[in-house]
Amino acid sequence: MTEKLTLTGTRPVSPAPRPPRGAALRRGLKALRVFMRSQPLGAAALLLICFFVLVALLAPWISPFDPLEQFRRDILEPPSGTYPFGTDDLGRDVLSRTIHGARTSLIVGVTTTGVSLVLGTMIGVTSGYFGRGLDLVVQRVMDAVQAVPGIVLLLFIAVVLGPSVRNTIIALTVVITPSFNRIARAETLRVRQEPYVEAARATGARAPRILALHVLPNMLASVLTLGSLIFAGVIIAESALSFLGIGAPPPTPSWGLMLSEGVRYVERAPWLIIVPSVALSIAVFSFNLLGDALRDHLDPRLHRSATDRVTGLWWGRRMLSRLAPSLVRATEQNVSTGGAAGGAPRPSEPPR
Amino acid sequence: MSPDAPTTEAPLFEARDLVKRFRSRGTVVQAVNGVSLRIPRGRTVGLVGESGSGKSTVARLALRLLDPTSGQVTFDGVDLLRASRGQMQALRRRMQIVFQDPLGSLNPRMRVLDAVGEPLAVHRIAKGSARVDRVVELLERVGLRSSDLYRFSHQFSGGQAQRIGIARALATDPDLIVCDEAVSALDVSVQAQMLNLLKRLQSELGLSYLFIAHDLNVVRYMADEVCVMYLGQIVERGDGDTLFADPRHPYTGMLVSALPEFAPERADGRARRAVPRGEPASPSSPPPGCRFHPRCPKAMQRCREEAPALHGVADGRAAACHLFDAGREASAR
Amino acid sequence: MIGYTLRRLGYGVVVMCLVTVFVFVIMRLVPGDAVSLQLQDTGVSKEAADALRGEFGLDDPVWVQLGEWLAGAVQGDLGTSFYNKEPVIDLFLARVPVTVQLGLLAMLVGTALGLTVGIIAAVTRGSVTDSALRVFAVAFLSVPNFVIALLLLTAFALWFAWSPPLVYAQPTEDFTSWAQQMAIPVFALGTGGMAAVARLTRSSMLESLGSDYIRTVRAKGVRERTVVLKHSLRNSTIAVLTLLGLELATVLGGTVIIERMFGLPGTGQLIYQAVLDRDYPVVVACTIFYAALFVITIILIDLLYALVDPRIRTGKALS
Repeated sequence: MTEKLTLTGTRPVSPAPRPPRGAALRRGLKALRVFMRSQPLGAAALLLICFFVLVALLAPWISPFDPLEQFRRDILEPPSGTYPFGTDDLGRDVLSRTIHGARTSLIVGVTTTGVSLVLGTMIGVTSGYFGRGLDLVVQRVMDAVQAVPGIVLLLFIAVVLGPSVRNTIIALTVVITPSFNRIARAETLRVRQEPYVEAARATGARAPRILALHVLPNMLASVLTLGSLIFAGVIIAESALSFLGIGAPPPTPSWGLMLSEGVRYVERAPWLIIVPSVALSIAVFSFNLLGDALRDHLDPRLHRSATDRVTGLWWGRRMLSRLAPSLVRATEQNVSTGGAAGGAPRPSEPPR
Repeated sequence: MSPDAPTTEAPLFEARDLVKRFRSRGTVVQAVNGVSLRIPRGRTVGLVGESGSGKSTVARLALRLLDPTSGQVTFDGVDLLRASRGQMQALRRRMQIVFQDPLGSLNPRMRVLDAVGEPLAVHRIAKGSARVDRVVELLERVGLRSSDLYRFSHQFSGGQAQRIGIARALATDPDLIVCDEAVSALDVSVQAQMLNLLKRLQSELGLSYLFIAHDLNVVRYMADEVCVMYLGQIVERGDGDTLFADPRHPYTGMLVSALPEFAPERADGRARRAVPRGEPASPSSPPPGCRFHPRCPKAMQRCREEAPALHGVADGRAAACHLFDAGREASAR
Repeated sequence: MIGYTLRRLGYGVVVMCLVTVFVFVIMRLVPGDAVSLQLQDTGVSKEAADALRGEFGLDDPVWVQLGEWLAGAVQGDLGTSFYNKEPVIDLFLARVPVTVQLGLLAMLVGTALGLTVGIIAAVTRGSVTDSALRVFAVAFLSVPNFVIALLLLTAFALWFAWSPPLVYAQPTEDFTSWAQQMAIPVFALGTGGMAAVARLTRSSMLESLGSDYIRTVRAKGVRERTVVLKHSLRNSTIAVLTLLGLELATVLGGTVIIERMFGLPGTGQLIYQAVLDRDYPVVVACTIFYAALFVITIILIDLLYALVDPRIRTGKALS
């Protein structure tokens, strides 16, 4: 190839500006402001979640008693100044157990959602991007896992591994990973057809680069939305397993376990049921509400779709593949309207 | 000289008998059916046709973003279809593409620096501050400012976004740029700026263009040679100005007469052509014989049975139509 | 359409085969089995345990067991329970009616309530009633069904000093007792579906009420009642049916925990106990049955969509 006019050095290069400092943080905060303004319910949910997380993190310092300490003289005490939410049949403080129960829920929720999000997204992206035989095999396996109703699979795995928080996490991860796989795959199929991916391919970019820089960042919004809804489902599932006696083993402070221990004293000590029920419901409610608000925020047109019921761990194939494309398309639109709302209108092409 | 005759200089890019069929659930779509093209260095070849005529597929075949069903593509003497991965990667540096949808072809999560600098990173041309300098230089060359470096695509207008797309295409110092409807999505005033920018870049950098558009005026303005496509085939080929001033193939005639501001100023004073009827047939079931015959006002019995080949009809002109078979010997050789 | 149906059925068969393999492999991968559980504290010799394993076929390789099971399943023989040595199919069939009653009633109640609430919300859109609904829908979706059941139990115990009977009675024998026992479980299982149906009905009706064809219907002077109940609601039917199909999985899952809470002898109870006992034949049969139900529902939904939207079956709309 003959050396032709090369670009460098043909004209003076003006000094490049420095990258703006903290730009990512500022953009993040701005996106958050826009979200909270347009979705007041979502903002409320975020506050509730912050509260929940704080309680869980600070549990050892804010709870009045050790959640395992048994006050033998104060068995089944009704709520009082000493025990704001009463005591259980072993004389343990219900408030302290509830606060520490948040901790158990948070640990299981974060770990399970985190691991299955990463795992499911990796599987879905790889399977969706490379397609063909790999896709066919992987997706049928995922279908098989999803075909077994979640609770049955959970029972199965939890019993087989034995009751413990760790095993609950493992069982839940197996059950939930296919959900993330599905949305990641659908999103990959969508993003793969975007012109900017073709542009990257035309440049000569190879698959790892395209996946990391083009596909993943553009599907993050919908994956995180699903993550919020799944988190709610995980909290329910954890308490259900503990309730059935195959999740967290006694005397772990877990809401589900507290409920199953309290059920015998329904008449004598209703606070044993009511307190953990309310805690559990509020936690689940706030994650559901956040996910709901995120979905509305990302796609204002999408109020329908049977995916309303994603609090469960089972998601219809058809519904999901329909939901996913509109989610992220809307993200882009929202980002641009958000930008325009905050600053000056787009500059038009300068005359020249 | 016939366009099929060998030229003295080897062209930068040549495609021969490209065929591309897509299979989808039992039906076969013939998107491209025997297209041949050659693009000399520093020149522009235009490709016009209605939507669905296979123009964009030709663009993707040319860059081997798609593999043809059959045919041959050579770039600077290298057979693209036989090139190794390494060779292909090296060749991608030298051929780039600008897409139709300026905003869509930019990743919404990428800053301009990363979008324009992506080819530099992929081909390990420059990194760090050298990459930043290079990107600034590219931006200034296409009429953007260095202050745009850290902005996102949604902060730009369509025209500005297309400038970014062009800067990205220029990043690796390519020889050939395929412009796939590069100005179609822009406002007319912005279109003109963009066309002038492309022309200026061509003269400054010695680029060759494969310029694809459905707008005849745009193609006439840009291209040295124009190819008219209909249902996956080239039906007429020739020098831009003369082709539109004096269309030979009835389909070209139809396109020209559909241009409101162009038709009245036809200088030759011939009677207005009859405007063909209907819409293009589906590429999954093209009509037998000449693919254009169901819409052609001059269709003969022969057109229904036999597909015409592309052959010379005048100096530097070729058309695929039975109307010109009589004059074939005389004008072609 | 026939081609599409066959393709979907083929897909179902493939998934069910995978489920079967999956279940068998997990069952045998894990440590401990029915024999060691059964003989845990009895001090029976290793030889006797091995003999028992031989009797149950547990010493065969996994694929041999899988093959034998499949061969039996084709002939309607799902194996014999390790515990009470009864044929699994009999155990299973004895318990199916309770779960079917529970599930069907829950879905019926949920749908009926959900449709009512949804229609009211759609008709009064924008009002306080409507906006209250959105919060309540998410709230109802957020309280797990076993928690609803517990809260109801608590409420009845506290305020009426009443709790449901603990022994299940056939509705044909003692209807009052049966109704008392089923009331809370049915309601608890139905609420989730109710909230979901209400939301879906509201939004899909709003969508159709704003559409051109409804405007045309109104322009013809049709009564508002008819517009809402006949034209608009009909348009939401498919979406609601889809939702119910998906809801089936949730309800079936819910039966496991609810049946256990209320001592209802259904399949949920059966599988729970079987899993605890590692009663392999029962677990395998139940799991595969649940999965089959789910796969069949999905296929039915797909076919329903294809029937309504011809683009789906030719594969042009969905890639």
